[in-house]
Amino acid sequence: MPALGQLALALALLLAAYSIFANVYGARRNAPDFVVSARHALWAMTAMVAIAMAVLWAGLLQSDFSLEYVAAYSSTTLPTIYKITALWGGQQGSLLFWTFLLSIFTSVVAFQNRRRNPDTAPYALAVMAGVAIFFLLMLNFVTRPFQLLAVVPVEGSDLNPLLQNYWMSIHPPSLYTGYVSATVPFAFGAAALITGKLDDGWIRSTRRWAIFSWFFLTLGNMFGARWAYEVLGWGGYWAWDPVENAAFMPWLVMTAYLHSVMIQERKDMLKVWNLALVGLAFSLTLFGTFITRSGVISSVHSFTQSGLGPYFLTFLIIVVVSYSSLLAYRSRALRSRAEFESYLSREAAFLFNNLILVGIAFAVFWGTIFPVLSEAVRGVKITVGPPFFNSVNAPLALALVFLMGVGPLIAWRRTTADKLARIFAAPAILGVCTGVIAFVVAGIHAWYVLTALSLAAFVLGTIITEFRRGTRARQHLVGEPRARALVNLVAKNNRRYGGYIIHVGVILAFVGIVGSSFFKTDVKKTVREGDSFAVGPYTLRFAGVSAEDNAHVATVTARVVVMRDGRAITIMQPAKLFFKKPQQPATHVAIRSTPLYDLYIVLAGIDDEGRLVTFEVFLTPLVFWLWAGGLVMVLGTVVVMWPNVRERVAIAAALRPAATPGEIEAESAPGGD
Amino acid sequence: MHPRGAASLHSFIDAARVTAAVILIASLSLGVLSARAAQSAERTSEAQVAQALTCQCGCGLTVANCNMPTCGFSVPLRIQIEGMIGKGMSRAQIVAFFRHQYGEKILSAPTTEGFNLLAWAMPFIALLLGGGLIAIAAKRWHHAPLVEAASDDREPPREPAFDPELRRKLAAELKES
Repeated sequence: MPALGQLALALALLLAAYSIFANVYGARRNAPDFVVSARHALWAMTAMVAIAMAVLWAGLLQSDFSLEYVAAYSSTTLPTIYKITALWGGQQGSLLFWTFLLSIFTSVVAFQNRRRNPDTAPYALAVMAGVAIFFLLMLNFVTRPFQLLAVVPVEGSDLNPLLQNYWMSIHPPSLYTGYVSATVPFAFGAAALITGKLDDGWIRSTRRWAIFSWFFLTLGNMFGARWAYEVLGWGGYWAWDPVENAAFMPWLVMTAYLHSVMIQERKDMLKVWNLALVGLAFSLTLFGTFITRSGVISSVHSFTQSGLGPYFLTFLIIVVVSYSSLLAYRSRALRSRAEFESYLSREAAFLFNNLILVGIAFAVFWGTIFPVLSEAVRGVKITVGPPFFNSVNAPLALALVFLMGVGPLIAWRRTTADKLARIFAAPAILGVCTGVIAFVVAGIHAWYVLTALSLAAFVLGTIITEFRRGTRARQHLVGEPRARALVNLVAKNNRRYGGYIIHVGVILAFVGIVGSSFFKTDVKKTVREGDSFAVGPYTLRFAGVSAEDNAHVATVTARVVVMRDGRAITIMQPAKLFFKKPQQPATHVAIRSTPLYDLYIVLAGIDDEGRLVTFEVFLTPLVFWLWAGGLVMVLGTVVVMWPNVRERVAIAAALRPAATPGEIEAESAPGGD
Repeated sequence: MHPRGAASLHSFIDAARVTAAVILIASLSLGVLSARAAQSAERTSEAQVAQALTCQCGCGLTVANCNMPTCGFSVPLRIQIEGMIGKGMSRAQIVAFFRHQYGEKILSAPTTEGFNLLAWAMPFIALLLGGGLIAIAAKRWHHAPLVEAASDDREPPREPAFDPELRRKLAAELKES
């Protein structure tokens, strides 16, 4: 079986190489047969990578320790679900999974474009195949997932206990999906630059891919934060670890792109900037992979020092240099008849939104690489941790939230001060009232919190205003009842109102982050069975421990009765796990989540007889809204991506009256929006 | 009442209702924050000191945050910090002590001196440069007709009651159905 996997990877490499030749030759010589042949080669490549992945999965499930990878990341006692997730728990498996996703997306793009974009699609597919070749070269020659061991061990080393958590079954796949799908806009951007087809065709062809990538990057970051919250046992969810930063940066840049692309669609501006952003987003995904696998920057997430760093760095440099050169080469042709009338306009708000988003991405990048710079320049190792990132990004986050409120309501081209005052009066009053209540009633005096809460209320106010305005317009002009008008408003303008729903999600998450960052309290207590102690409004009573043991892990679970106003409301069970293969302890925290605060209990220590136990208890306000905000963002993205063919055809017809019906039909096809 | 006046009144009542609902929700949340704010004021400075130091177990967290079961660094250090606070040492003195003992890598953020100043300044320099580029581009993009518009002292045209784009879409939709 391992030989089959290795053979499949070798064939996939050959097929990818052939597809590049056939696509480029077919496009240059106008030979459609070659393009068709290239498409088939890409589908065959995907099948080969899928076979390789199935072989590795089979090895994991059958505990075939003749495979070095299986022996390193699995064991006979590892639960089946983690045998499956062990595929992305180690270096080679995760690269194989990445390649599989890339192959799938390449195949889907090939299928979508079998009758569309005949000039650019072959080049875009060639670029995607080029990226696949890099990964396949790694898998075939540098870090082989089917490497056999000379001496087969009777037992494997097992998966890292920190990765034996259900969030690990969805966090890496989500993040990888977001990373890898960023290749599609990049590939079409590169194809546009190569072919000189510099209109916004490449944007239309990849809009859904960009949203898809953003969606999965959002999910990946959220799931990762939740994993950290549940597994690391410190009551927090984001530590500005280099690998977290690596996942956050592409998200920021992709968010900037999704906003700035609206300016190009509407005003035919920022062509160079949009092409630069998709190039930057893709490069940052490679940078993240480089960080994770090079060992250059130490991180709790790193795949140790694998020796892959130089290869990734070389590939990253090749991508950045060649893409930048193409961009420079086409810069004259990319000049557009730009118009900018006023700083009081939506395009100005979007420009500043882009500045802040890319500014935050730069700040994160700078903080992440600064330790390397310091060591290179001064020879002194330093740490750039949470205090730096929080201090630098906090004011930028406020500016971004402010622009989130201003951007959607302000008109294109220019707005008068009178109109501004009229539109923003109610949201501004809401914001000020919130700040005043926070100061006077709640007694909050931290200026950052006051400003953050005021701005959050302001943005929510603007969104409510916008929904209200749209609903009233439909009521008056179409004569629909209010509820139906609201539903139709969202359904028929799903991109715009889905975007507003996403903004609501961002604001909820922002409030959750502010509340949990500024007002978290923790209590550490060592108690005997039957003892009680107070944490905020709760009284916790330690009601004893129980132990469980199996071949894989020994678990000691504490029972804590949670009481409020003298009444027991729940029993929480934090636990300590002792894994047996990599003899390593781990924590299982107990969380009681409510919209007001999370009660988070860690079993920090236990004596041999279980008489004295130490609990660390965190009371974290409003953190619930971070996760709720994530869910709302998901909902908003679903609304944005919901097919709305009728609307798209109508808008296309309105915006481009000269377009032929055939063109409009092609534009409204799935994947074309 | 004049129809326009009635519409304005309804609009005002709607806005007031929405505002009241959001204020209520905000107040409830803020009430909770208030209680937490009071408690957080009682935090010991041990946490503040520990927040300024990086755990050396490889977790990448601060000493205040590291709760890794395998960590043998943060717990003893927190105990040591408590002892130093008990002896009357200030935050700066304790941080300086550990910096001397472990080197600069133990600090959780770069210092604000020498080369490290670049870490703090660069993001804002980049932002200023970006803002400058926007200003230059905006000036270049500034269109001649705008000069006329700016110097036009006639009363601006009355704002339509509804977003013109929305009106256009609705008209297209009605025409289609």
